[in-house]
Amino acid sequence: MSPLPPAVLAGLVGWSTVAGVDLVSFPQALLSRPLVTGAGAGLLLGEPVAGLQVGLLLELFALDVLPVGAARYPDYGPGVVGGVVVASGGALHLTLGVAGGYALLVAVLGGWSLQALRRVNGRVLQRYAAGLAAGDAATIHAVQYRGLAADITRSLVLSVVSIGGALWLRDRLPATDRLALVTAVAVGTALAAAAGGAIRSAGRDARLRWLAAGAGLGLLMAALR
Amino acid sequence: MTSGFTRAYLRLLSVQGAWNFERMTGIGMGYAAEPLLEDLKAADPARHAEAAVRSAEYFNSHPYLAGLALGALVRAEYDQVPGPQIDRLRTALTGPLGSLGDQFFWAGLVPAVIGGAVVGLAAGYGWWAIAGAVLLYNAVRLATGVWALRTGLAHGMKIGAALGASWLPHALPRVGHAAGLLVGIALPLGLAVLLEGQPPRSIVIATGTMLVALLAGWRAGPHVTSVRFGLAAIGGALALAWSWP
Repeated sequence: MSPLPPAVLAGLVGWSTVAGVDLVSFPQALLSRPLVTGAGAGLLLGEPVAGLQVGLLLELFALDVLPVGAARYPDYGPGVVGGVVVASGGALHLTLGVAGGYALLVAVLGGWSLQALRRVNGRVLQRYAAGLAAGDAATIHAVQYRGLAADITRSLVLSVVSIGGALWLRDRLPATDRLALVTAVAVGTALAAAAGGAIRSAGRDARLRWLAAGAGLGLLMAALR
Repeated sequence: MTSGFTRAYLRLLSVQGAWNFERMTGIGMGYAAEPLLEDLKAADPARHAEAAVRSAEYFNSHPYLAGLALGALVRAEYDQVPGPQIDRLRTALTGPLGSLGDQFFWAGLVPAVIGGAVVGLAAGYGWWAIAGAVLLYNAVRLATGVWALRTGLAHGMKIGAALGASWLPHALPRVGHAAGLLVGIALPLGLAVLLEGQPPRSIVIATGTMLVALLAGWRAGPHVTSVRFGLAAIGGALALAWSWP
């Protein structure tokens, strides 16, 4: 498979880093959602369909977990960009499942890196304890900027690892029909994740009825496509 | 107090920038409070010093609604409310703002716009569906941020009553119903998009896997997360694909 041009590679690393930082630190503008990240990565790679498909697959997993407070949640952004790279260049019905599995692995790694970042921020806090106790504005700025810089670094490193690993995997992925099984299983588990999350969020009130009505309508629309 | 509004609002966009387990979003709050407290520095330096310390103490809420707390706390400082009372307000706002924001945004608006984007994708709108979802989401989110900071600054210690009488609690069921409907429509359509053009065998395998995964999730409870199950199932499928004669 032909190597990616440096400009495309740089664009992918940049986009992936932005998506990683968007998850928690700044600006939380939906850019870290797998569907959005995947679509952007697909455009950069010149493979918009692969971007949308990998993004959609991971979005179904992401719909299961709410990024609330101190909860542990995967960082899908860099993983999805890596997944789009894995899926690119091959037949999507074969590569999609492997790409989804790869993106999930990196997303879990990203979730761990977020916990580590939070502990690093805690240590910075202790180092600046005296200034914070005095309400010193420069100290508050320093802690805030260090936190942001640390998250940018975390996201950049994760992006390089994700895209580097994806390029390695993409070149070694056999074009065998057997991989269609992996794709079907990945789609099934992703759909279960989204359905499980939707049912839990709906509880037992009116939202559950709206969900059921929507599912019926969706089935009808899918049959008519 | 209002002279630093824009700077405080922009700084709130990174309120979780130094998130940590000790103060959670406290540093981000202190960073955003600084422009709003500038007038107090000239009028009452001693009070300003106390307010600056308080502003960066422990705090946690939904990031998009942090402006409600920030505005209310800053207003209370200008109103010369005793420090312990301000600390109590800060603590009291944590739970409700977190819960309201999580319900409205994370469990409501996010799945609703994502569900809408998937429907648009299935209808053939491609990138436009996603761009529309991002624009709509950010329009609501940014406008809510402005409203939150303004409301907090206007009501100070009475922020609880103002919040209860605002549009936000009334909007929760509506956005929840929209999310239910749109995610419901998106699920079968998502399956159709992902398995487009594939043989019926793939649809059977995907549907069977989904049922097994739902059953496993129901039986095993929170120990089997969807990501763990997904990784295990994809790994198992890969092993099977490789070893099949």
